[in-house]
Amino acid sequence: MKKFVFYPGCVMQTEQYALDLSLREILPKFDVELVDVQGFSCCGEPLKSVNQMLSVSLAARNIALAEREGLDMFVPCPMCHLAMSECKRILDSDEEMKQRVNTFLKDDALTYTGKATLVSILDMFHEVIGLEKMKKKVTQPLDSLKVASHYGCHLIRPSEIGRPDDAENPQKMEQILSTIGAKPEDYPEKLDCCGALLNANLPETALTKTGQKLQKIEEYGFNALVDVCPWCHRQFDARQKKAGETVAAKLNVPVVYLTQLIGLSIGISEERLGLNLNLSPVEALQNGGN
Amino acid sequence: MSIIDLTSMGEPQTDMKDEINKRLLTLKDEFSEYCYQCGKCTSGCEAHKLLELEPHKIIALLKRGLIDELVNSDIIWTCMSCFKCRERCPQKIAPVEVLFALKNMVVASGKQIPGNYSMYLQMVLSKGLLQDEKEISTRDNKTLKRADLGLPEISKPVDMAKFMGMLSKLAMEKV
Repeated sequence: MKKFVFYPGCVMQTEQYALDLSLREILPKFDVELVDVQGFSCCGEPLKSVNQMLSVSLAARNIALAEREGLDMFVPCPMCHLAMSECKRILDSDEEMKQRVNTFLKDDALTYTGKATLVSILDMFHEVIGLEKMKKKVTQPLDSLKVASHYGCHLIRPSEIGRPDDAENPQKMEQILSTIGAKPEDYPEKLDCCGALLNANLPETALTKTGQKLQKIEEYGFNALVDVCPWCHRQFDARQKKAGETVAAKLNVPVVYLTQLIGLSIGISEERLGLNLNLSPVEALQNGGN
Repeated sequence: MSIIDLTSMGEPQTDMKDEINKRLLTLKDEFSEYCYQCGKCTSGCEAHKLLELEPHKIIALLKRGLIDELVNSDIIWTCMSCFKCRERCPQKIAPVEVLFALKNMVVASGKQIPGNYSMYLQMVLSKGLLQDEKEISTRDNKTLKRADLGLPEISKPVDMAKFMGMLSKLAMEKV
């Protein structure tokens, strides 16, 4: 059993319950134990536009909380994972910044040391568990499912600070999807942004970005869009109808979390994976996409 | 003597430019002077496709020290932070990081922050998280709480007074 502190972030634990549920359901099946820790806050990334010092310190505070447990940290949300990786990169290379941040953390009786490793959702399956171990557990391969992947910008860029996959040609999600029997295919808009971060001030434009990508995915005849980021998923799934209105199209794309598909392939029930929480037309998946 | 931009009669603000460059050096070893305007950032910019953001022009203005023109423009708030410009710049400059720095300056100067950013800040300062725990609807139109799904309680700062104290000190800080 490998043990990790589970960092839930904001969007997953306050709204995107399907990701939370499915992770907690499938990871123990692959001998990964998640440890819940009280006291976490926002990762800081959404406040980067407001005050970067604040966002670095928030990230450091969360890492320090995990370090206190003496465990590595599993950070499933790509945005949170980016915030913390960037914080780690800055503090580990700049002793002065580290001391400055630690003076603030002292008020909360915390210290950032930099010893915890941050594991992303992609690496949890691809590296920590590994494709071979995953393959052995598959009992219901998702045979005829032609799927499009969406990594989310923050999961793959900027590569300079260390991201789990290639910035211009990511393939780990495709490898995971092939392992569970699905048929992932690349498409020209694969790296396009979902637009979610514009929700703060230009929500209409954010939806247009979402709609444009979904429209293409539907055009190419994919059975489903697979994502891992709670921000992207909220755009593509919960806001699909509205996104369709901005591009004058009635969109009909089933959107699922990678973790939900993995769960289905190892024989976990739809209910336990929170599939009834997806608001896009996921019933199309129930008969193999036909 | 530095160049005065004749179209806007804008005076270069070298102090502010130096401040931004210093900050970028701290955060990512970056220096905007190295930009040679190849336009690779703008060609891949996600916001450029829909809005009017042209990252290479942001860097051009910064190089000339025309900071006021930038901080007074709404255009700096249209970045989607997809990080493609940072990834692809052959000179290792990151327009996205310049935009973060400019937005931070706007906030620090007390100008109005557009959209929900101030709400985000309020939420994090008062609750520790971006939003409160939500009730969600299912495909069959039922309303569910987190606890109904058997999920554990959410993780948030335990001692809010302490947390707020730390953040309010931090909010005054610059990189």
